[in-house]
Amino acid sequence: MGAASLALSPTACSSDDDDALTFFFAANPDEADARLRVVEAFQRTHPDIKVRTLLSGPDALQHVSIYCAGGKCPDVMMAWDFTYSGLADRGVLLDLNTMLARDTSFAAKLRSDSIESLYETFSFNGGQYAFPEQWSGTCLYYNKQLFAEAGVRPPPGRWDEPWSFGEFLDTARALTKRDSSGRVSQWGFVDSWSPYYSAMLFGMNNGVPWSTPRLNPTHLNFDNEAFVEGIQFYADLASKYEVAPNASESQSMSTMGLFSSGRAAMVLGGHWRYQTVVRTKGLDFDVAVLPTGPKGHVAHSNIGTTGLAIAASSPHKQQAWEFVKFATGPIGQTVIGESGLFVPVLRSALESPGFAEAHNRISNLGVLTAGPAHSDGLPITPEWPKIAALLDRNVGPVLRGVRPATSLSDGLSQAIEQLLRAA
Amino acid sequence: MTAIDTAPAAPVARRPRSSKRRARAGRLFVAPNLIAVTVFMLFPLAFSLYMSFHNWDVFNPAKFVGLSNYNSLFTGDPLFSIALRNTVVYTVGTVAPTILISLVVAGFLNRKLKGIGVFRTIVFLPLAVSSAVMAVVWQFVFNTHNGLLNIMLGWVGIGPIPWLVEPKWAMTSLCIASVWRSVPFATVILLAAMQGVPETLYEAARLDGAGELRQFTSITVPLIRSALSFVVVISIIHAFQAFDLVYVLTGRNGGPETSTYVLGIMLFQHAFAFLEFGYASALAWVMFAILLVLTVIQLRMGRRRTDQEERSWA
Repeated sequence: MGAASLALSPTACSSDDDDALTFFFAANPDEADARLRVVEAFQRTHPDIKVRTLLSGPDALQHVSIYCAGGKCPDVMMAWDFTYSGLADRGVLLDLNTMLARDTSFAAKLRSDSIESLYETFSFNGGQYAFPEQWSGTCLYYNKQLFAEAGVRPPPGRWDEPWSFGEFLDTARALTKRDSSGRVSQWGFVDSWSPYYSAMLFGMNNGVPWSTPRLNPTHLNFDNEAFVEGIQFYADLASKYEVAPNASESQSMSTMGLFSSGRAAMVLGGHWRYQTVVRTKGLDFDVAVLPTGPKGHVAHSNIGTTGLAIAASSPHKQQAWEFVKFATGPIGQTVIGESGLFVPVLRSALESPGFAEAHNRISNLGVLTAGPAHSDGLPITPEWPKIAALLDRNVGPVLRGVRPATSLSDGLSQAIEQLLRAA
Repeated sequence: MTAIDTAPAAPVARRPRSSKRRARAGRLFVAPNLIAVTVFMLFPLAFSLYMSFHNWDVFNPAKFVGLSNYNSLFTGDPLFSIALRNTVVYTVGTVAPTILISLVVAGFLNRKLKGIGVFRTIVFLPLAVSSAVMAVVWQFVFNTHNGLLNIMLGWVGIGPIPWLVEPKWAMTSLCIASVWRSVPFATVILLAAMQGVPETLYEAARLDGAGELRQFTSITVPLIRSALSFVVVISIIHAFQAFDLVYVLTGRNGGPETSTYVLGIMLFQHAFAFLEFGYASALAWVMFAILLVLTVIQLRMGRRRTDQEERSWA
């Protein structure tokens, strides 16, 4: 593997390549390999620019903060949709519009090839603080064999073919099996994403956005009846309908473990789960779209995306710009698409034969290729870490079934509004 | 004393030079440690006190805000009272059982029995395990459906308890794991103190007809009071600063909901998730002040008790 020649460094302490461009990112070992392939491809075309990779620890924001506090902000850094605005707001990230203004041909190409909603995710307070480089929205994976054995129609594989919450529930019920003692031996549905966020996603698929407006929101829609209805439906899957495991029941085995071992028929997850599923021997699976609530019209995924940003304090801005252009441009995106580890965000890369080849195990490729364009945004605000902590504290009782989702309209909604007003 | 008094006097003229040299050598020997203490303890302490009067997010210059961080902590942050209450519950729930169990275990290990060394080693083993590793193991133990604890409770007909899932059980789980971690250290200290109790006292008590329990409560416990007091102080300080165990066992937000949201978690969250280092520093100093007051009260009570005992003996 050529990429192996590029060493991954967990720290920044090499003196002999102090003039190298530093690239900070988070990845599991497989993903790190795909990122190194992009770096290697870049170095082949730009041999004069040395790149030193910095692999993040478990908490990327904390890790990058420590680098920056020590005066060694990485030149290029991965940016997450939820947290980048906090860094942008503090002046850590360079407004890439300043670079785009000098590189008009790339700007025009990027604009025409980009998916608007993903590109806008990194537009904040009039600046462009990162370019998207992968889509990590969620969809459903389903076990084709379990569906066939139960004689249940597979879920739709196109975003313009919605299926309702009711149909989803019927499917999950038909695929949930219990043994003679009444214990569940096969779940209809499991969730491998964060349950808090998944609950909001179901709210969003009942026709209501998470926040108003999406960028710098003044209000999160926990007091909207339809949004709350969607959250309640998600919570009921475990607590009322018992077609999904509750928190206690999923302690013994990871939800992906349940799906991979054939003990769950459907799992909600992002493309980051693809490699786990594809490597499971004997698992015949495909991907499908998420269900739509009675007040929603079209199925949506979420705009989960990461991008590449440049540090405002970088002494290598021009080299960093070349790297970001490469990685988020057509060549880097094609490399990423061919790896099978990420969903690229440029239309040209999404439609490339390499991406289709890397996903030849599934029939419903449209779920992935059209996913970015059928995604709705999550709130973008520098206050997100505090909102996430509030969600963690307040949504738990709803998901455990001890409080109705309507209870969120008072406490949580007001607390978030107060927080956003004070910011 | 006698040796010094009767020792031949050293030449008067040489003494100052040699003592100066020795003092200089002494200073040189302690210099590395002194530098380390200054750089890694005194400076961070002073810096955090300075930062507690500022707003600082690491990226931008600190902004002086006076007592605003302390004001917000006491008047505008509902989570502070929750964190304080949880910390007190955790401290009491950890320290009281730790002391009781450690006394019993140390009392047992103090016996002169065959193979007692093996038992001592087993009891002290948890001291060698890191908190994070221990918390991961306890996560398995507390698993609702397949955890060791619920399996054992099932043998006596007690249904599965959602140890880490339900807020009302999460703090209990945390205290159980914490007691398991704290007992070995407390036992080491108490056992060492118990071994210093003269055997003649026990012999006299036995001659007077005192049973095992009476000997333990009337001889052992009073004579190891200073060690006991030390263990209580250290255990309270450790419990008050709880972070690693909570972080791994119940998550970075001290969940579920706010059931294990202790001051250590609050401090970490404000510093590293919200990047409010000034506020976190203020919280750290409030924690320090609370601990200082608690420790001073405890030491004074201990001293008063000792004085009373000395007077009664006199």
